[in-house]
Amino acid sequence: MPVSWPARVTAASSGSREGAVLGELPPGSEASTVPPAASGDSDPCPTLKPGAKSNCIIVSARQRGNPILKFVRNIPWEFGEIVPDYVLGQSTCALFLSLRYHNLNPNYIHERLQLLGKTYAVQVLLVQVDVKDPHQALKELAKMCILADCTLILAWSPEEAGRYLETYKAYEQKPADLLKEKVDQDFLSIVTDCLTSVKSVNKTDALSLLSTFGVSHLLPIRVQTGPCHC
Amino acid sequence: LEGTPPVMAAPLEHENQVFLDLFHQDGLVICARGLGIDRILLRFLRLYCEPASLVLVLNTSPAEEEYFIDQLRSDGVVHLPRRVTNEITSNCRYEVYTQGGVLFATSRILVVDFLTDRIPSNLITGILVYKAHRIIESCQEAFILRLFRQKNKNGFIKAFTDNAIAFHTGFCHVERVMRNLFVRKLYLWPRFHIAVNSFLEKHKPEVVEIHVSMTPAMLTIQTSILDILNVCLRELKRYNPALEVEDLSLENAIGKPFDKTIRHYLDPLWHQLGAKTKSLVQDLKILRTLLQYLTQYDCVTFLNLVESLKATEKAFGQNSGWLFLDSSTSMFVNARARVYRISDDKISKKSKVSEKMDIKERKELKRELVLESNPKWEALREVLKEIESENKNSEDLGGPGQVLICASDDRTCAQLREYIIAGAEALLMRLYNKTFGKDERAGEEWIKDRKAVKSKGNARSDKGPQAKKAKVEASSKQNKIMKKQDLTLTQMMGKTEEENIEEEMEGYKELSSSEEISIEETKPEDFHLNLASDAYYGIFKTPLTIIHPLQGCSDPYALTRVLHEVEPRYVVLYDAELTFVRQLEIYKASKPGKPLRVYFLIYGGSTEEQRYLTVLRKEKEAFEKLIREKASMVIPEEREGRDETNLDLVRDSTSATVSTDTRKAGGQEQKSVQQTIIVDMREFRSELPSLIHRRGIDIEPVTLEVGDYILTPDICIERKSISDLIGSLNNGRLYSQCISMSRYYKRPILLIEFDPSKSFSLTSRGSLHQEISSNDITSKLTLLTLHFPRLRILWCPSPHATAELFEELKQNRSQPDAAIAMAITADSEIVPESDKYNPGSKDFLLKIPGVNAKNCHVLMNHIKSISELVTLSQDKLSEILGNAVNAKQLYDFIHKSYAEAISQGKTKR
Repeated sequence: MPVSWPARVTAASSGSREGAVLGELPPGSEASTVPPAASGDSDPCPTLKPGAKSNCIIVSARQRGNPILKFVRNIPWEFGEIVPDYVLGQSTCALFLSLRYHNLNPNYIHERLQLLGKTYAVQVLLVQVDVKDPHQALKELAKMCILADCTLILAWSPEEAGRYLETYKAYEQKPADLLKEKVDQDFLSIVTDCLTSVKSVNKTDALSLLSTFGVSHLLPIRVQTGPCHC
Repeated sequence: LEGTPPVMAAPLEHENQVFLDLFHQDGLVICARGLGIDRILLRFLRLYCEPASLVLVLNTSPAEEEYFIDQLRSDGVVHLPRRVTNEITSNCRYEVYTQGGVLFATSRILVVDFLTDRIPSNLITGILVYKAHRIIESCQEAFILRLFRQKNKNGFIKAFTDNAIAFHTGFCHVERVMRNLFVRKLYLWPRFHIAVNSFLEKHKPEVVEIHVSMTPAMLTIQTSILDILNVCLRELKRYNPALEVEDLSLENAIGKPFDKTIRHYLDPLWHQLGAKTKSLVQDLKILRTLLQYLTQYDCVTFLNLVESLKATEKAFGQNSGWLFLDSSTSMFVNARARVYRISDDKISKKSKVSEKMDIKERKELKRELVLESNPKWEALREVLKEIESENKNSEDLGGPGQVLICASDDRTCAQLREYIIAGAEALLMRLYNKTFGKDERAGEEWIKDRKAVKSKGNARSDKGPQAKKAKVEASSKQNKIMKKQDLTLTQMMGKTEEENIEEEMEGYKELSSSEEISIEETKPEDFHLNLASDAYYGIFKTPLTIIHPLQGCSDPYALTRVLHEVEPRYVVLYDAELTFVRQLEIYKASKPGKPLRVYFLIYGGSTEEQRYLTVLRKEKEAFEKLIREKASMVIPEEREGRDETNLDLVRDSTSATVSTDTRKAGGQEQKSVQQTIIVDMREFRSELPSLIHRRGIDIEPVTLEVGDYILTPDICIERKSISDLIGSLNNGRLYSQCISMSRYYKRPILLIEFDPSKSFSLTSRGSLHQEISSNDITSKLTLLTLHFPRLRILWCPSPHATAELFEELKQNRSQPDAAIAMAITADSEIVPESDKYNPGSKDFLLKIPGVNAKNCHVLMNHIKSISELVTLSQDKLSEILGNAVNAKQLYDFIHKSYAEAISQGKTKR
């Protein structure tokens, strides 16, 4: 199967480079949306694994034969020596768990999580829901994820699970613009959006303020509404 | 109890019994539809409309409340019921409660007031629950009753419903409802109850059933549609063998609730269904509409619907096969035959047959209009004539009787009105011209033909407007002497509700004005009555003749009000509806001595008749099942929850409180902490708070700006249903919610809650694209988790599962503080110590062009305040930001003069 990879690697890697250019952000910068408070209880500083800086999803040898790999089509992947099941970027990794397997070996995931520790900023527990009555198991996993600082993601089919892996890798450096409220890119909209981020200002206020003052006069107003601890 | 004012109609025998039964012992009354459950509730309301009692009424809609208050007002009740809605501020509510009387309260407000003890629960006399069959689905009312019973052991709970069919489905439905209501008694009042039956038998209105027979074309069409329906049902069963066969019978398929039934079965697995099944469900719906149109409206409207079906099929290529069946061909042929026939012997130069444009033959086709009239229309005409002639010699009855004509919907009413005033030919001609374009020649010819026929056959020609006019005049002259109408009549245009009907009416006016030239005096007087309803159509002033729709009024009591105000002697049911028929019986019984004659117009052997009979049978079966269930029901003594033994009222407190160590000796004080969850006020629309409360966890309702549920000082939860999740991921709301959650709480959690009646899955089968698409919900979720590494996600298949999980998450953790939670607002200055930047300023900076997540911190490290930022030069900025492009953007933005901005803004506009 891996024979056919090289051709795809080039195609996909150019794609991800493009993403980085568009985003204008070097890798890892997005961690800054997390306030430094995050570093208080643990050390989320991602340890750069050898070979982690790659355009591929790195797949642990344990996952050999997992049907979800068939559905990782848009992003190249390769096997590597890693602790988690998948490394999806410099600070992102994933463990895969099929609920059917979990019901047979309930201790397995516990051991894997302990082994993994808290090495990556985003640690995904990708669970494939393939049993009829998943509720009890899901409840236990949910609690476990909160204790182990994992992000729980559920997929209902191997296709969906594969898609999550692809997306995590593809969006590794994507800015959050897609999630934010759309703001028109003209000057007025930006200023309005900017001013209304002060709680006591609404849109009409912003416009009337703007017609009275210029931006350079307006900005200091912000200071009076709340002290800046810069 | 006996202080009922004389204004109100005397209660009927069986109503007295229902009232007394329920008055003496709490219970659930299930009454046949239309038998006046509202009248019984009204009696209870009247009883408690006094300051000394405090009675809450649950589950009423604003229109119903309006009606009840109106009725009580006209009965001269002084202390009228009041409404507790969000218009009354929380501070004033205690006062409102203590003033007593009857209160209609919004459930959400009541829940919060019970939880915060704002309502003096010990003072409540009791609770009346209207539409009690909904208590299982609507959790809030059940929650209110549980809170009420926990705090008040003496008050009464009385419940009312007239929907017996709702209890027919599911296992032990009625028992579950009664358990939720905390009542032990079940009172059943079907129409066949001996007391009801014998009483109503005594006051039977005069009923004239007229079985109209359908035209051969209509019959053929009906048979064809039924054939197709059958085929579709068979297909549906073949594709989904798991479906319960019994409910999918042809008889059920023609009834209105069939859509609901089928959705009920298919919803949980909707995402697994193939396209074929989905389109079959759609087809069944269309076919049902066709059946309804066939009997309800005229031939032109029906043909129009059929043709448009064919057109959409051609345009979109959607086709599930039934259009190719033989039956459907026969349906099309007959539908056309009712409107026109194509004769090929005549040659016309001006053919406007648009559909046949492709046939460019020498011999041009010519349409010869047939325009088959509705048989029911003729029957209605006959009935009106009979009434008319009877009104002529009605001196001994005290003048001519008013006439009320009821048809199912607004459209039918408008059509009937036009028919009665202008006649069938005019109506059909106008409809034909409107839908198929003006085909003047054909139309003229048709009218000519009709006139010829009429003048020839004088025996049957009194259907024409001329004859009609004469009669109207005659009767009105006669009536002028003795009429004594207290209704104010104004010469106004009858108000119509829907725009399309208004349009139709305008069209009609044009038409009628052209007709006026020939027949002058028949000009109908449009008038507007001071009636309670605004949905009716007046036809004649004297005797008052009104058409009123049975359904689709904004006010559900519109027809009732009209009935009592107009007091008709003759009621013509153009369409039969069970509720209204029963209402007429009650009306007749409450006015003994007043003659009432009811005409039923029904197509014999039609699906219309079948539908009516099915509804009757369904209700009867439902009652029979209820009677059986009642006989075998075992009701525990403590059901009412008036003592401490009702297990439903026991909150599961053993597991909720921190488990005490049994090895510790009694001397050592081990305080068990009461678990608390802080819940946002807006969350009381959902079922979850009630379920949490049931687990023995206290709920503190406050208005939260960040998060929906605060479990511990660290854990903050934002709950999203699937539709909310999709919406808030798209509009950016979830992103800002996550920002503020992770800013103020150590463990921000997004809870994705699935609807237990739908499938537990985020994406449906086969909806995955080949490529990664940024529009997919899964992609956005991925991006969200990448940007908020501390954000945890909980996936809960039902609110029950969520409540359980909440309880377990709280174990061995400290309790949240409502004051702190409330103080946290999106812009609050309480900052976790570790964050050395002011979050407000950071948000502000981030919105300025040129500043991004990366250089924001660098910038904030270099400047002391935002005012300092303004003083910096562009060079300095580029030095700080390390990027000339960003620096220029930032500098330009700050120093752009407002005049420039405005002019730019103007050009943009």
